[in-house]
Amino acid sequence: MVGTYLIYFAFLCAVVSIVSNYITFKRKDDRYIQLTRYSYHFATSGVMTFCALLIYLILTHQFQYTYVWNYSSTDLPLPLLISTFYAGQEGSFSLWALFTAVLGVFLMQYSARKQFESEVMLVWSLVLSFLLLMLIVKNPFALIWDSFPNDLIHSGEIPMGVSNFMWIDQARGIWAQFPSEGKGLNPLLQNYWMVIHPQILFIGFTSMAVPYTFALAGLLRRDYQGWVKIAKPWTVFGGMVLGTGIILGGYWAYETLGWGGYWGWDPVENSSLIPWLVCISSIHTMMAQRRSGTFVRTNFILSIMCFIMVLYSTFLTRSGVLGDTSVHSFVDAGMWAYWLLLGFMVFFGALGIGLLFRRMKEMPKIPVEHSIYSREFALFLGASTICFAAIFITIGTSSPIITNIIKGRAAAVDIAFYVKTTLPLGIIIALLSGFGQLLWWGTSKARDFLKVLPVPFIASLLFTIVLFILGVRDVVIVIFTFASAFALFVNVVVGYRIFRGNTKYAGGAIAHIGVAMLFLGFVSSARYDDKQTVSLEQGKTVNILDDYELTYVGNHAIDDERFGFHVQVSHAGSSFMMMPTMHFSKFSNSTLRHPDVLNLYTKDFYISPLSVETVDKKKNNLTLLKGQKKNILGLGITFIDFDFSDVQKGKMLEGGTFNIGAVMEVEKDGKRERIKPLMRSSNGAIDYIPAKSIHGDAEITIVKIQPNRENPSDSKVEISVQDKKSGPSEPQAESLIIEASVKPFINLVWMGTVTLIVGFVITIIRRVQEAREKD
Amino acid sequence: MKIKILIASIIIVAALIFGAVSFVETNVEYTDFQSAMTSNKKVQVKGEWLKEKEHGYDAGKNEFTFFMKDDNNQEMKVVLKGAKPNNFEIATSIVVKGRFRDEYFYASECLTKCPSKYEGDAETMKKTL
Repeated sequence: MVGTYLIYFAFLCAVVSIVSNYITFKRKDDRYIQLTRYSYHFATSGVMTFCALLIYLILTHQFQYTYVWNYSSTDLPLPLLISTFYAGQEGSFSLWALFTAVLGVFLMQYSARKQFESEVMLVWSLVLSFLLLMLIVKNPFALIWDSFPNDLIHSGEIPMGVSNFMWIDQARGIWAQFPSEGKGLNPLLQNYWMVIHPQILFIGFTSMAVPYTFALAGLLRRDYQGWVKIAKPWTVFGGMVLGTGIILGGYWAYETLGWGGYWGWDPVENSSLIPWLVCISSIHTMMAQRRSGTFVRTNFILSIMCFIMVLYSTFLTRSGVLGDTSVHSFVDAGMWAYWLLLGFMVFFGALGIGLLFRRMKEMPKIPVEHSIYSREFALFLGASTICFAAIFITIGTSSPIITNIIKGRAAAVDIAFYVKTTLPLGIIIALLSGFGQLLWWGTSKARDFLKVLPVPFIASLLFTIVLFILGVRDVVIVIFTFASAFALFVNVVVGYRIFRGNTKYAGGAIAHIGVAMLFLGFVSSARYDDKQTVSLEQGKTVNILDDYELTYVGNHAIDDERFGFHVQVSHAGSSFMMMPTMHFSKFSNSTLRHPDVLNLYTKDFYISPLSVETVDKKKNNLTLLKGQKKNILGLGITFIDFDFSDVQKGKMLEGGTFNIGAVMEVEKDGKRERIKPLMRSSNGAIDYIPAKSIHGDAEITIVKIQPNRENPSDSKVEISVQDKKSGPSEPQAESLIIEASVKPFINLVWMGTVTLIVGFVITIIRRVQEAREKD
Repeated sequence: MKIKILIASIIIVAALIFGAVSFVETNVEYTDFQSAMTSNKKVQVKGEWLKEKEHGYDAGKNEFTFFMKDDNNQEMKVVLKGAKPNNFEIATSIVVKGRFRDEYFYASECLTKCPSKYEGDAETMKKTL
């Protein structure tokens, strides 16, 4: 109850903050400034308190709350127990609201110093209030007997032995029972990634609202230039955090979930990539505007779209609209959440774009002074190309919605769509991030340009030729490789010069080195990976791929659900032990397969377990025609006839239970006996009931019956014969089936990521210093 | 200035056409087995696994073979590249993506749908009382 009231309280405070900030903005005086600050701080305290309360409820296992019951259980270790906070929709919106509220406190101080406070906090409070509205609809504090009133609310005497109950109305004798154990966390999420990855992603999502807020503040104040400088460090920060979150998600998928790769173009992955691309492109145009005052409208649009794409992505992945088209199971959020998410997006979209259109006419025209051979123009082209990538990925991800509207039936695009559309854009981006570094602001002279160009150009040409000789023949890939190598070499040369001069200006070059490394890593690890499916019989050595010797040694039980499979890998004189695991989960009644990765300097060797097959030597299947005799396991088995007596009695027509028998004669050491394994059908469900032979020590089970009414002598039965005598001492041959793959130079992807992040950090430091300077 | 705008519009239009063509080409249409048999494109078919019919995994070929029937009750033998998918037994419906060739449906991907898998339903709730 308290939790629900706290949500209402925080929501009301956020609304007060909106109103008071609006009045302050309109009146342009500070009369209500204390009210705006107090109301926002109260809203933040409210959010923090209900989040703390939710954590408390989870840690103390209060299963009378539906959310706590739905996602946690008493057997989870502490870090995972804490992570159940955001395992479901209600909790992850709480986390989002928490980060938004807290970030707003910093934003308030920052914008107060820049005289942007009331406009910024007006928009920010709007964002917060919408998130809180979402929590009013999807309340994490819903009580379990409200979710299951028919099953849990009782009246009258409380039976003996029931201790988990709560009085609802003691006077009228109405009470509610609640569970003593929770459902637990989805085993797919039970690992350390769950503890860190979602927070980072949500901080990224939260930061995407900052450029939006500053853009709107700029429009409200009619300050079309100054907001860019203030928003810039936040935008770079958002780009860094969201980018880190995305790549961590990719690493999670690669290392733990066993998707085989780090990127699957899944809607959930795409939905964080799209806002990131928009953010990255706005960083580039903001830089151009800071320099020459141009791209005013472009920056407004991009900053607004950053946040709108976060909201659109949230709508796609949270509303259930994607339904059947992805491997992720999208929970239907319910009608209210669907409309609220849609409304959220439409409202903030209309607000941003509407305000931009109102101000469009009065914006001063900034004459374009830069030539085509200028850094500004290169930045603009680069930003446009990144935007196109974002547009294509949005179209692909929205495919189920588009096809549903046009054809009336939702269909997703194939992964090939994304590769096909983004690859040419990647080439342009790589080339531009090389050329752009060689261009000057305003205009460039061909002489300066040509002075730097030859070294990186020849280097990348040689690099590409070497790769061509090594076997890279796909034309588009060759061009892409050349472009990426060019970007790499140019940025290394330029970056080194800047670095020597003034370290803090090297952020851009370092980030682009990271991007070029990422691109090269994508080519080597995704386009030139090599895989093979192989069945490893225990104890036997198999040579696969490029001279990898694999021996399946055996398995051991990690706990009652998890098994580790020991595979010895010998390659190039070294020997390694690898252990992919399989998890036979009772929770989701399924098998979770976890890969193991052997990280070598120049490649990863990746083992993904597919299944374990036990070749049971004591069990044999055979098919017999009527009257036919076959020998197996020292037994002579004859198929005499089917027994349709139940069917002839008409039981089949009545429904209910009936048996079909197969009469078998078993002969051993001159002794004969007749036994009758059965196929039993009860209300449509088929069971096979084995029959034992007493002196033959065998058990016969029907596998399939194929009676033939027209020609009864053609009737067939397939049976499985199992020798009961030979005990479990006889070893069974176990085979582990794996998919092994070699991913060359995948380390480039991880190194590229780290380099990119370092570049971001240096840029943030520089932009923060720049924003501190007085104009 | 006009030339700039012209060039820009040509590039944008070309990019959009390229995107639209790729979109149509790679769109994996939902259909049934009847039309899958006549189509050369990759399609996806939704249906149910026929549990009682034979099924099995061939380790040598890395293929999982099973029978399924689509929403029009047409039965089809499906050869899926890879092992038996997760949640296969409890799936209320399955979606296979692939092509029909010769006499079977060769699937490259199989999605299993378990609507109440992670959602709190009354039956699971009662077990935790």
